[in-house]
Amino acid sequence: MGLIFIRTVIVFIATLIVMRLMGKRQIGEMQPYELVITLIIADLACIPMADNSIPLLYGLIAILTVYFLHQIICVLDLNFPAAKTVVSGSPSIVLNKNGIDDTQLKKNNLDVSDLIESLRVEGYFSLDAVDYALYEAEGTFSALPKPNYQDLQKSLPIIIFDEGKADEKNIRRTERPLKYFTDILKEHGCKDIKKVLVMTVDGNGKIYMQIKGQKYRVVDKKWEKTLW
Amino acid sequence: MIRTIVSIFVSLALIIGVAVFENLHIRQTFELFSQALESLYEKTESGTVTHEDGVAVETFWEKRKRTLHIWLPHTAILEIDYQLYEAVGYLYVQDFESAMPKIEILQGMCENIPQSYRFSLENIL
Repeated sequence: MGLIFIRTVIVFIATLIVMRLMGKRQIGEMQPYELVITLIIADLACIPMADNSIPLLYGLIAILTVYFLHQIICVLDLNFPAAKTVVSGSPSIVLNKNGIDDTQLKKNNLDVSDLIESLRVEGYFSLDAVDYALYEAEGTFSALPKPNYQDLQKSLPIIIFDEGKADEKNIRRTERPLKYFTDILKEHGCKDIKKVLVMTVDGNGKIYMQIKGQKYRVVDKKWEKTLW
Repeated sequence: MIRTIVSIFVSLALIIGVAVFENLHIRQTFELFSQALESLYEKTESGTVTHEDGVAVETFWEKRKRTLHIWLPHTAILEIDYQLYEAVGYLYVQDFESAMPKIEILQGMCENIPQSYRFSLENIL
């Protein structure tokens, strides 16, 4: 049983490390260690239950070990903030008043389209509609909108450039050539589209763009007709 | 908080208690079983063994294996059962030549099984 204890501790820690390394994308509404417990405990309970050749005590000791580790993590969580950060992680502010923080996104294995998707789920369709957006340690997403955010999202923005890559399908929807957008980038001092973190455009011609390492910019081209 | 800390110590004490008991129980059981097998082997080698000697070892094992089922995978116990019944069967027909390798296998198992429960890197990994 001592071996099962040690083996369970090793599997628990290894799974927890992997979950932490995978970032917030894999978690979703659970602390990393809670997800690890959920993943492990189901198997621990099932294997000795279903396999008659394994003593039930093997499963019970492993479950008791998981409980023991859970209690230790609870004590660490409450008393040692540094340990809490190591075990559970910390919130990641992925969008601030300067725009998208791609370092934080990459740290959590997320990309700009994931952020846009999370914003849409929260009801914010335009990147400039929010001042702050963050992923909590357990993977949930929250955003602080600008006071006048309703006025900033009159039409659905679509992605033109996503981390240096042009979205041909969306460019066709704008009824404008790629050059139209690269010229806008050039006007703002960006000659290489690979340096573009994101560029979106809404149906009225409002362009949101952010060049890597720079603050975001909003350019309103005021198209003659609303395209979508 | 106190409740959490108490639960940590209680669960740890339970795990350590069960682990120590398991280790001692398995080791002790297999030591006794090994001694019984050694005596059976010596008698078989000298040709003085009777079927009753074999049945005595079998009875000893039958009594002990009930509690071993709690600690060991049942397949390991079944393997010992199989070898032991064969050895006793050979003793019944007085085929000592065939019984001896079976008893040797059992002696080997008595050494190997407790070893697989010791704290060692190869067992953990």
